[in-house]
Parts: sequence; C-alpha cells; structure tokens
Amino acid sequence: MFGSSSLRLAAFYTAGFAMAVAILGLVTIFATRAALIEQFDARIRTESTAVKVDYQTGGAPGMIGEINERRNTPGELSFGAQTADGRPLAGPLARLRRPAGWSTVRLGGAHPTVLRVLTEELPGGYRLMVGDDIERVVDLQQSVLKGFALALGAVVAVGVACGFALSRAVQRRMSAISGTAEAIIDGDLARRIPVGAGDDDLARLAHTINRMLDRIAALMDSLRQVSNNIAHDLRTPLTRLRQRLELSLRQAEDPVHRTQTEGALRDVDAILATFSALLRIAEVEAGARRSAFRREDLTALARTVVEDFAPAAEDAGHSLALDGDRPAWIEGDPELITQMMVNLIENALRHTPPGSDIAVRVTASGEGVVLAVIDDGPGVPEAERERLFGRFYRLEHSRSTPGSGLGLALVSAVAWLHRAEVKLLDARPGLEVRVTFPPA
Amino acid sequence: MKLLLVEDDEEAAEYLKRALIEAGHAVDHAASGRDGLFLAASESYDVIVLDRMLPQMDGLAILRTIRGARVKTPVLLLTALDGIDDRVEGLDAGADDYLVKPFAFVELMARINALARRPPPQEVVTVLQVGDLRMDLLKRSVTRANVRIDLQPREFQLLEYLMRNAGRVVTRTMLLESIWNFHFEPQTNIVETHMSRLRAKIDRGHPRELIHTVRGSGYTMHDGAA
Repeated sequence: MFGSSSLRLAAFYTAGFAMAVAILGLVTIFATRAALIEQFDARIRTESTAVKVDYQTGGAPGMIGEINERRNTPGELSFGAQTADGRPLAGPLARLRRPAGWSTVRLGGAHPTVLRVLTEELPGGYRLMVGDDIERVVDLQQSVLKGFALALGAVVAVGVACGFALSRAVQRRMSAISGTAEAIIDGDLARRIPVGAGDDDLARLAHTINRMLDRIAALMDSLRQVSNNIAHDLRTPLTRLRQRLELSLRQAEDPVHRTQTEGALRDVDAILATFSALLRIAEVEAGARRSAFRREDLTALARTVVEDFAPAAEDAGHSLALDGDRPAWIEGDPELITQMMVNLIENALRHTPPGSDIAVRVTASGEGVVLAVIDDGPGVPEAERERLFGRFYRLEHSRSTPGSGLGLALVSAVAWLHRAEVKLLDARPGLEVRVTFPPA
Repeated sequence: MKLLLVEDDEEAAEYLKRALIEAGHAVDHAASGRDGLFLAASESYDVIVLDRMLPQMDGLAILRTIRGARVKTPVLLLTALDGIDDRVEGLDAGADDYLVKPFAFVELMARINALARRPPPQEVVTVLQVGDLRMDLLKRSVTRANVRIDLQPREFQLLEYLMRNAGRVVTRTMLLESIWNFHFEPQTNIVETHMSRLRAKIDRGHPRELIHTVRGSGYTMHDGAA
C-alpha cells in the first residue's frame, strides 16, 4: 500500500494542508488577541486620562475621591494611586509596583484574574495605575485554539480518508493497465486497457497505451504477413524445384544421374528442414503459443518420449532411462515441450560415444519442476560450456549446422516461452542440461 | 479415383496433374478459388486437394464454404504455412489432412489414398484382419495364425494404423504425425526402430511377410498372396 504513489501524494497534500490550517490558526489567535488588547488599551487610556483630569483640577484628594467613587461602580476598571515613594493612597491596585508603562499582572486570591495595567507618573510624583481584567481575551483565545485544533483533526482525517479512496481508485485503474501489459507480454496481443467514460489523465494515458498497442499489433501482423509471404514465396519455387528433381529422378536411367538427383533432393529437404526449424523458433519466440498453455504432467510427457526413443538409443548402443515417477505439474504446451525433450535427448545421443547412459530426470519441488537430461559422455569443458550456453541465446552462431545448433536454439526458445531457466552443468563425468520450470 | 486439384501455381499444378494421371487417377484442375468452389460444389470427387494460399479467394474460405454446403468429400490442404496455429486453423476449418509444401509426390499420393478409402465414421470396426494376422480392438489383442503376440502400446498403435491402411503405402511422416503426434522431423529414426521391432514380432518365423518396406516412401501391409 505504501508503494502507491497516489497514497504518498495524498499524504503529502494532507500534511501540507494541515500545516496551512495550523498557521492560519496561529495567525488568527495572534491577530484577535492584538485587536482585543488594542480595545482594552484604548479604554484604559481613556479612563486614565479622566482620572488625570481630576488630579489636575482637584489635586491628590480629587484623584483619591474619584478613585474611591469609581471603585463602587459595577463594570468599572481597577484603579490604584501611590506616592512617589510607593505608599498606597487609594484603590485595589495601590500596592502594585510596576515601572511606568504597560504591564500584565496576575492576581491570586479567591478570584484569580489577569490584569492589563497602565502605570503613569503624575507631575506631583504620584503614580496612577489603571487596569482591566483581560481574562476574557484568554478565554476567547482558548476557544479559537480549540476550534482550530478540531478543524486540524478534521482536515487530517478527511485527508487520510480521501488519500486512501483516491489511491484505491488509482490503484484499480493502474492494475487494469499493468494487467493488460502482462497479458501482452504473455503474447495476448489482442488485449486492451478498459477505458471508462471519463476524460482524465489516466484515461488519456490508457488511450495512448491502447493506441500504442494497436500499432504494435499492426506491426506484428504485418511481420506475420511478411513471413507468411516469404514462406509462400520461398516454398513455391522450392516445391517446383523438388518436383523437377522428382521428375528427373523418375526419368533417370544413368545410375550416376540417379545418385546426383537423389543427393539434390536430400539437399532440398535439408534446406527445408532448416527453414522449418527457423520458422518454428520464430513462432515460439513470438510468444503467442502461451495462450494455448494447459496443465501438463511433465513426468508423463517425459515417460512417453523416453519410451519412444529408448529403442533407437539402444540400437545406437546407448541406454536411455527415465528417473522420476511422481507427477510434476507445469503450465505449458505439450507439443513444444515434447519437441524440446526430443532435441535434448538427440543432442545427448549425438555427442556421446556408444555405451553411454542417458538419464531423463524429472523432479518437482516448491521452487519448481526440474527437467534434466544427463549423460555420462565426455561432457563439455567449463569454458566451452559458457560458449555453448551463449549459443543457446545467439542463434546466429549456430545457423550453419541445422541439426544441432537450431535444436538447442529451439530448446532455449521453448524454455523462454515457459519462463523456464536452462543451465548446463558438469555431471562428473558428462553433461547435464537442466531446465527449471516455475511451479504450476 | 476422381480428384479435384485447386492450385494457382500453373507449373506445380501441371506437374501434379500429370503425376496423378500417371498414377491412374482422373484429375480436374481449378486455377482459382472461385473455379475450385464451383467444381467442388457441382461435381462429386473422391478427394479434393486444395492449396491454402490462393489469389482472390483464400483456401480456408473455400473450405469453410464447402463444409457449410454439407459437402463431405475428404479435403487435403496443401500449404506453405507450417506453424502450429496454421495447422490447427486448417483442421478446424474442416480439412481432413494437411501437407506442407514442398512435399514428395509419394507423400501426397499416400495421403490421398489414405483419405479416399477412409471408412465412414459411423461404421465401427472392432476386428482388423490381414492374412492370418488378426487384431481385436476391443480386447486389445493380436494373434497371428492363432498365436498370441504381445505388443508394446506404441507397437499396437503402429500395427493398427498399418492394418487400417492395408494395401496402401503409409509414409514415415504420416506415422510420425498420427502415432507420435510429432509435427516436426526428429533426427532419430524412431519410426524405423519401432517398425523393425514390430516386424520381428509379426513376421519372424512366418513364411509370408505382411509388413513391407516401400523404398523411398514408407511401408505397406498386405498379404502377399492377394
């Protein structure tokens, strides 16, 4: 799930959005606080000025009288007056010691409060303090904070939910795309990505990929057409050539002429065999046969091939035996697998001296099904083995010898088609060709 | 036998026609798909030899049309395409046999003969007999001169095929295709090795051989007295 790019994108956006909400919250809190404090300050300044006017007109007693009078008025601010040496004169704030200017004072007691206090020096050395309870600002700040915390939580929750939903939706469409790609890789060139009604970037991507697939299919088609044409255009003259030779053979009376013509016929057939082998390899490599795969018991297939080839092996002075009696299931094309086994067995027969033993071993385990063709002949030196192994994949180098080179090239192509791995091993003595199929 | 040959390549058609007539058959030749279709639908033939790649009308399309018209004449498809899918497609379209170009004339002849005398499908054969050799298909048993012969499964299949085609030439390729289901040419002579073992079991110790080698083409089974 965390491998999903859409989920990561959603998480990224959610985090960014949450951060924005947090910043907005902080800015709001500071701005409201500043605005409120401004209002408080204005009122305090006005009241302070009013008391100062009383002081100017009535002196210290006028100021004290005014303070005491206001003290009993509900909703009024708190006042305090003291002498230059700090002796309290009147009001609840008279005992405060604060420098001139603004300050914040916390008062304990039965009703703890937070006050904003303006301290002013009066001309006669008296000090006047005017304060207001700003508890309401703190309350407001807290409720704003709570609101934003709630909003932040909601943003994160919605963001995560949307992220999952989005990634599920994207994932579904992505897996449709990769499923199609897998099917194409498996040789089903007719598959296309399902495109819904929408017209978003993914739909456009699907359209583009589908167009690309159409193009590939068209190219494959024309390639097939071309090879069909080549097959036809080559086989038609070869057919005539063969017929002419047959005709000539029938009319031949001179034994030399006969032998020559028979040789020529054999050559035509050899050309044709190479041609057929090449076409067969190309057909296998195109991968289209995968659609015809079915569940097969490799042991049963191997048993049949071994039984069919044992008499011929015996006649050539070899022994051929099957090693393995339990079913080993694979997904595959029985005809091609049979041809692969035939090629491997014939390869072993051709490259070992009479008297050699050839074993076909089939074993199944959790890692897969292993087909091994093992001989006790002279084997192949390590360095040579690499070269031989290379040949498996480099058809070009083995084209000159139709029997062997193409036989192994076909083995390699069939193994590739079945997603199997081919390895050449030292059988001490002899050679082991091991083909490992993925488990069915 | 009356044969219809549908082949667009004039020279190949001329050669085949001549060789088939020499072999004692009556041959109608159609150079195009349309003519071929017309003849196949209007005349009665023992076997139709049909080229798969024809100008104008594809051999497979003709084959489907013929089969659609309930013409049951055996069809031998000649083709330059020997891919596995091509073969399956050809047989699905209603071909009875499939021969890849180029081919030996004896191969074509053997296959035409095998197709022409194929027994109708509803006829169930349970016992095959050639001379004093008898095969019971239900009991899966073989006797010669009333003496039981034990055969390996492949040998039994091989003998059954030979007996069903008694009196006709059976080629190596026909055996590879129908007994082994090999649509490729193995380097090893598995047909010969199996055949020599079968012959040892069938013919050894008997004055008259039933399995005969036809040089350059294949095998045939017949009671020499006939």
